[in-house]
Formats: sequence, C-alpha cells, structure tokens
Amino acid sequence: MRIIVPIRQILDPRGFTVSPRHERIFINREEYIINPNDKNALEVALSLKDAGEAEVIVIAGGQARLDDALREAMAMGADAAYLLTDEVLAKTDAAGVAEALARGIEKIGDFDLIVVGQETLDTADAQLGPWLAEYLGVAQVGGVRQASISDGVLRVRRNWGAGYAEVEVALPALLTVASGANKPRYPHGGRIMAAYREWQVITWNSEDLGLTAADLAPLTQGRGRAFPPERTLGERLTGSPQDVAAELVQQLRLRRII
Amino acid sequence: MDFTFPKEYELFRRMVREFAENEVRPLAKKVDAEHRVPFETIKKAAKLGLMGVPFPRKYGGSGAGETGYCILMEELGKVCTSTATVIGAHTGIGAMAIYLDGTEEQKEKYLKPLASGEKIAAFALTEAQAGSDAAAIKTRAVRDGDYYVLNGSKCFITNGDIADIITVMAVTDPSLGARGGVTAFIVEKGFPGFSIGTLENKMGIRGSSTAELIFEDCRVPKENVLGQFGAGFITFMKTLDIGRASLAAACLGGAQAAMEGAMRWAAVRSQFGVPIAQKQSVHFAIADMATEIEALRSLVYRTAWLIDTGQPHVKEAAMCKVYGSEVASRCINRALQIFGGMGYSREFWVERAFRDARIAEIFEGTSEIQRIVIASNLFREMGLRISP
Repeated sequence: MRIIVPIRQILDPRGFTVSPRHERIFINREEYIINPNDKNALEVALSLKDAGEAEVIVIAGGQARLDDALREAMAMGADAAYLLTDEVLAKTDAAGVAEALARGIEKIGDFDLIVVGQETLDTADAQLGPWLAEYLGVAQVGGVRQASISDGVLRVRRNWGAGYAEVEVALPALLTVASGANKPRYPHGGRIMAAYREWQVITWNSEDLGLTAADLAPLTQGRGRAFPPERTLGERLTGSPQDVAAELVQQLRLRRII
Repeated sequence: MDFTFPKEYELFRRMVREFAENEVRPLAKKVDAEHRVPFETIKKAAKLGLMGVPFPRKYGGSGAGETGYCILMEELGKVCTSTATVIGAHTGIGAMAIYLDGTEEQKEKYLKPLASGEKIAAFALTEAQAGSDAAAIKTRAVRDGDYYVLNGSKCFITNGDIADIITVMAVTDPSLGARGGVTAFIVEKGFPGFSIGTLENKMGIRGSSTAELIFEDCRVPKENVLGQFGAGFITFMKTLDIGRASLAAACLGGAQAAMEGAMRWAAVRSQFGVPIAQKQSVHFAIADMATEIEALRSLVYRTAWLIDTGQPHVKEAAMCKVYGSEVASRCINRALQIFGGMGYSREFWVERAFRDARIAEIFEGTSEIQRIVIASNLFREMGLRISP
C-alpha cells in the first residue's frame, strides 16, 4: 500500500508578533515549520504504516526551503520524499501548488491513499485537499480524525456535527485530516541525522512536471494587508445586582440584541 | 571557520526542545518532590533514540556525536536537571566506557541495548576512600578460572540501583597501582554477589537515584573485562573526559533557563511603580549572565567539536566542567536574587534549580580536580617539568 502525504510549511508563529496598532507583523526569528495540521495528516499515514504494510511518501511544492520540512517528515517516519521546486513553482499560489502536486503524484505512479491536512495555520488555506481530489479524480473524505485498514477496507472516523461518523472508503481515496486530530509523533533522533546525512530528497522542477510558467500563473493576487481593529473594552455597569441587571437588559434592548 | 550548526543539529535541537517542554518539564517538580526517577520519560526518550545520542547508528544510537549529545543535555538541563543526570550517567559515562573501549562482542551485547534505552547503565568508580583520589580504590578483582571475583563497594553511583549494566573499576594488581594494576569490568545487575546498598538522600537532583553498590564474591566472566587488562584507569579517565563536556552542556541549559526566567519575571514584577527590568542592577545582572553563558556555549560546543573530530580535548573538557558548573551556580544564584522571595519558595522552580546546580561542582570530578587537570596539561603543553 502506498500512502502519499503533501507537506506545507509555515512561518513559525512563535517567531513573530502581530501588532494591530502599528499595522505590522514583526518577525523576530524567521523560522519555518511543517504546517501543524499536515503533521496530523502524516501521523494518520504513519499509524497506518505502523499497523501494516505501507509505504509513506511525502511531497511538497513551492520554495526550495521545503526541503527541510520533507527531511523532518522523513525523520518522523516517511520512507521517501519529493520536492517540486524552481523559480516558477516558488512564485505560484495555492492552486498552482495543488496542480504541481497532482502532477508530481501522477509522476510518482500508483497510489492507494492521499492524506492531507485540512488547512494551513497561517492563512487558513483549506484548498489543497479538494483541489487534489478533483485533479486526481478520487473520492474525498473530510474532517478525518482516525483511519484504519482491515481486510483491505479503509475505515475512517470523521467529524460529524457534534460527534463522529464512521465511514468505509473505497481506494484510491483522499482524506483531509482535521486539525488537532491526533498528537503527532516527534521525529526520531537517529532518523534526523540520517535524513540530512544519508537520505535523498528527489527534486523535480516545473519542466519535469510538464508545466509552464503560464500554467502556474497565480490565480490570486495580494493587494494589501488589513488588520482587524483593536478590541476595545465594553462599558462597565456598576451598582446593586438588581440595578446592573435592569440596566444590562435595557442596554441590550436598545442595541436590539434581545 | 564556520560556527553555524548544520541543519540536522538545528532540527535535532528543535525536537529535543519540544520533547523537553512537553514531556520532561511537566514532571520536573513532581520527581523532585517525590524523590523518584522519571521512568516514564526514560521510556519515551528511548523511543526517540535519546538514550544513545552520541553512538553510531549501527549500535542503535542516533549517530549525533558529542555535539548532538551536548544539544540534548543543554535542552534537558533547561527543564529538569534530574532527567539530564539520569540520561547523562547512562549515556555519557556508563555506556560511553563500553563504546570507547569495548570489543565488538561487548558492544553488540551491551552497548546496543543501552543505546536503544532498553537497558540502563551506570559507571562505578567512586569509593568511600577514593573520590578525587580515584587511584586509591580498594575494590579487588581476583582471577578464578574463567571468572574474576570482585569484592568491595562503590558509593555515590548515579543510576546505581536502576542500572542493568554497570561499568566497574577494580584493582587487579595492587603492586602496580593505577598504572597497570586497575581493570575495568562490565557487571550485569544479575551477577551473583552483586547487590545494592543504601540510597542517598540528596540536596538536589532528587529525581535521580544515587546508590551504594556492594560486591561480595561477585563473579564476573573474564570476557567482561573492559578494554585492556590493567588499563582500567585509562578507560575510566577517557570516559570521564568526554562526560565532562556534556555535563557542562547541561549546566549551560540550566544557566540559560535561569537567565530567561529572571528576565521574564523582571519584565512583569513591579516595584517603585515600574517593572524591575528597568532597574540598572537587573540589567547588569542579566548582562553578566548572558556574557558568561555565551562564553560557556562557545567552550562547550568547541570542545564537542574537538571530541567529534578526534582531537585532544582533555584540558578543554576540564575547562567545560569547571566553568560550566560554576556559571550555572552563579547564574541561578543571580536569578534567584532577581526573583526575590518568590525564588526562595518551594512552589517555584528557581529553588529547585539552585539545589540541583550545586552537585555539578562536585560529581564527575570536583572543580578542584578540574583545575589541577587544566594546569597540569598547560605545564605539559609548555614543556615545563614541575615534578622531579
């Protein structure tokens, strides 16, 4: 069984502060980490690998620095890694990355399962799963918390309203994993060393994927940044509990809240 | 000259830091209060390859060398000195002796389960009458057919009561003394005649155990002689040299954590209407701490580099040990002063750090011994003979 996990990278939120007052983001330490939700996805894939015979392949598209994210994923337990990068891929947007990843996955060959983090922590981008399912023409299950395989059948527990639903999925399929679905494992010390010193990340450029700069032209364009206004403290009501309650009800009525 | 850490070490540090924050810190206060070894942490650390960080992957280690091992010790030292001590005595001296001088068979049989964390190691040199004067040990080993029979006792042995495999130094020829008359042995806890004596009730590092070991006609197979027969003193000294650098790395972590904790506290603690962080006395204390810490960091990782590249490092390792332990004590003491009354409270980690730090100036060679090592190496380097 072959499982493919796309990996994205975000700026480490511990390394910057957002100042709405100055309308600026102050980057104190520019460090990139694997998108935490993608680690949840990788954990789902690795737990399937632990439970049986599976090969887990990680793939990433965009900037060259994704190399570090892929090596970390290998240190966590992935068997092989593919990096899709060049100047064009580094500048494309989420849709372009999704198309490149779809091409990359096709180029890797047959797969049984794709496991994707539902969204990114930085821009709450939740497009990758649906894009890939569409490009590759496979069934998609969202909000996944757990997956297991027995007798060749994939059983998935997914979010369902306030509870969960258990569904069976025909392979090949794509799962988008809910953020916080599990506690991802730590990378292994010895595998960290091997990931940088012994193992290779296979790198393909846009030409290898049969994509041109026009194919990868961003569909979106950043126009500017806006910051939500700073929250201001509400009005403090004082007096006896009866007076405060009466005043509160009156104020809520005045604002047509009740 | 390139002072940047390669990327594998950066990722390794990030992993260890998260492990320390999430798995080790929550237990630090508890294991100190309950005076018990954090076995649950050891089990988790083993799964991540953290019980054999410096050893090659073929022996079940992480292959991260002394540099990687110092990173582990630094990050553990930031959150729990006890955990650093348990893993340090296991890896840095107990298993290290087997790695440095063991035969392939011994490495296969003993180093592998130690590096994978399946088994725990200890290193037994100190005796009641032989501390700094290590050559004065009295534990005897006498040949009896295919065995050596050990008699004597060791004291202050970190991990002594929890270890499965113990490297022990014993006298094999009293007439030869330290040079040729002392041999190292690998002892399994199940060997007949081996038992645990009293456990120490310590001031600090209370989440680690310190035991007396008793050998009463303890029979050790002759293939468990570690290193060359009669050269046990050399094996043990080599091991201690390497252990000193990583011990200093744990001190580095302790000092750094104390400084950062004091800074956070100073930023929120107000007196005379302003945060005490605005006071020049606090600035000076922090600047002094930061400068010493930075000097220590350079010394520790340069020494780790010397070890990893197979260069002479005895003097530098001793400098690490004496400077590291004293910087940690000074920084934690200064931090405690910034914390004021809060720092003296059992409720707060500074008090524990203060108690934990003191041992680093004593164990694995006192500060006095380190100074002797440094000075005698310097005289030798300069070609000056000072003994008749």
